[in-house]
Amino acid sequence: MSLLHFISIISAFLMAFILTPVVSLIAKKINLIDQPNYRKIHAKPVPLVGGIIIFISTTITMGLLIQFDVNLFSYLNVYFILFTLLIMGVIDDRFDLKASLKLLVQILLSHLIIMQGIKIESLHGLFGIYRISFEFQYVLTLIVITGVVNAFNLMDGIDGLAAGIALLGFIVFTFIAILTKQQTLSLIFCAYIGGLLAFLKYNFSKKNKIFMGDAGSLSIGFLLVVSGIYMIQNSQSTSNISFVAVGVISVLILPVFDALRVFRKRIKSSKSPFKADKTHLHHLVLETGLKHKASALGIVSIMFFLIIIGYISFKFINFSSAVVLMLLFLYVISMIFQFNNKINYWKKYIKSNEI
Amino acid sequence: MNKKNKKIRLSIIGSVGVPANYGGFETLAEHLIEDLGQKHDITVYCSGKKYKKENRQKFYKGAKLKYIPLDANGIQSIPYDTLSIVHALFRSDVLLILGVAGAWILPFVKLFTNKKIIISIDGIEWKRDKWNLIAKWYLFWAESLAVKYSHIDISDNEAIQDYTAARYGTLSRIIEYGADHTIKTPVTKEAFIQYPFLENPYAFKVCRIEPENNVHLILDAFTKTNRFPLVVMGNWNKSEYGQLLKKQYAHHSNIYLLDPIYEQQQLDIIRGNATLYVHGHSAGGTNPSLVEAMFLGLPILAYGVSYNKVTTENKALYFNDLETLIEQIDNVYQSKLTDIGQTMEKIAKRRYTWSNMAFKYELLLDEALNFKKKNNTNSTSQKIPYQDLLKIGQAHLKTSIKF
Repeated sequence: MSLLHFISIISAFLMAFILTPVVSLIAKKINLIDQPNYRKIHAKPVPLVGGIIIFISTTITMGLLIQFDVNLFSYLNVYFILFTLLIMGVIDDRFDLKASLKLLVQILLSHLIIMQGIKIESLHGLFGIYRISFEFQYVLTLIVITGVVNAFNLMDGIDGLAAGIALLGFIVFTFIAILTKQQTLSLIFCAYIGGLLAFLKYNFSKKNKIFMGDAGSLSIGFLLVVSGIYMIQNSQSTSNISFVAVGVISVLILPVFDALRVFRKRIKSSKSPFKADKTHLHHLVLETGLKHKASALGIVSIMFFLIIIGYISFKFINFSSAVVLMLLFLYVISMIFQFNNKINYWKKYIKSNEI
Repeated sequence: MNKKNKKIRLSIIGSVGVPANYGGFETLAEHLIEDLGQKHDITVYCSGKKYKKENRQKFYKGAKLKYIPLDANGIQSIPYDTLSIVHALFRSDVLLILGVAGAWILPFVKLFTNKKIIISIDGIEWKRDKWNLIAKWYLFWAESLAVKYSHIDISDNEAIQDYTAARYGTLSRIIEYGADHTIKTPVTKEAFIQYPFLENPYAFKVCRIEPENNVHLILDAFTKTNRFPLVVMGNWNKSEYGQLLKKQYAHHSNIYLLDPIYEQQQLDIIRGNATLYVHGHSAGGTNPSLVEAMFLGLPILAYGVSYNKVTTENKALYFNDLETLIEQIDNVYQSKLTDIGQTMEKIAKRRYTWSNMAFKYELLLDEALNFKKKNNTNSTSQKIPYQDLLKIGQAHLKTSIKF
């Protein structure tokens, strides 16, 4: 790590820290707030400005980095695509867009990303598959980007969770970028680390609480998955490729796994997979009686173990078994929490029938 | 010999053993031997830990005894029940399993053998505070296996039948406990000397000293009223909870704390002559101590959970918290107490006799041997295809809620 990394983190942190009260005030004026309802846990309206603030503060930081001769211009197109998604997120936060429209925009933006040449070109020996056909590359990349973006969006259920996962993700990505000598990328990730740290501070506070909103969770999820694919692509012809792939998968797998688990469960009990309920991982963890902060920390710790398991099993066995073991770990963890949830359900049932 | 008269080979598994010195399951096993031993070939599995070598017998009242060198309770109950089940598979037609600890093996038993399994799930064990988290999880899982892979499952209370119906969609049979081994005993002269409180009216409670039995609540209430003194019998030194309560209440003038008395006559004297029996059990199921008190014709003041209400047919006095408890103690008058006592005795004599229980078990033995399909709680309309129901305008039946 160099001095520039620290400058990047601190600059974004300070920017976000200073901007938040101001932007929150504006957000309250223009009604960009989250009103409490029966499914939500907070009681007062909360400004949905985290995504915007992180975007602005990282943008300013990047402007600063350009002064240090960091060449960021090659990422300009991706930056505009990200900006478009952010704007869509803000509009959604303010006016509640239709789910189908949101999905359409996401697919369109994923298409633009692929047009930039960023795509999954190979399975890198996962289950014995390497290079894949162009059509399959296109479809797979579309599905992965929109899938991860939405899965990440669903993680944003309790304070600090989505931001905590993103924070850990960007830390891992920074290491990968530094190890594979992608200096510029690592500086961008550092800016996000700074922005997320400032966001978490406000997110956990009682008085000046803010949420990241769909704008935040969509754009941050989008950045994570796109830069993940990009890093894998960049190290394609090097010996690092499997290592990078394991790192990226270990960061993105938890939200995806949980979303698929919940979808499967809803389909099994013949409900619409998109109808909101209380079966996500963070709901299950809350069932154990942990407080919100502890639950968020718990899930981020699960992700931390996941990354360790991925790394160790990759180091000592191979790429495929790393993926399988990570999936197995998530499966066992989910089973345990679901079992606990089931016990609590029947406990409450009995209790309500006792008197 | 025709099938009807053939002796059924029955194994009773999961109790500590006979001769019974202990709780409900053991007394049940003893009475089943007495009532069914002549007609059927019974084997009882006993804990080698509780019966010393020199006291062991090969036969007891005509039943064969087998000793397993493990404890019947706690964590060892899992291998104890499992070994008993495996052993019994080779020598009996019907397995009567008391408790769900060994239920993990039942899927295999059902898959690979033709033996019939009757299992008594004994209250909602996984919910009780005395177990740690792992034990609770195991028992929760074991209960589901017990119900799904047995031919007949027995609960001891209607409220538990409701729960198994809701959770598993099957109909549990209800068999409670008998109480006719208790005898009304007049107070002896020695007893008056040993227990001076016998001379005046007093309230009585016997139970394990555990929070789920509301001992703290009841003690607290009796320090706030002086209608009559309270006598509580239990093992005070076993837990921190008990020791704390003992320290706090031992010297209160209105309260007598007794250690457990295992001699039946002594117990019956103190219990049978009480003016009021206080029953604080909140955990699931029919409690043997409650039905025994009912059989003795004691007026019951019970904690108002569904299990106790079902056991007493909603005709006793009930309390839900400190206020209602004190109110009940202060306001009840003697003729009402006598009335309740008589009603309780009538219920107990009708429902809670061992011959009645043995009769019910015998019916289940026959039913198990002719078992076709486990009873479920779905209405017959569930079997009609949805489209057909729709045609006749009865589609709502498909989504009917049970009960």
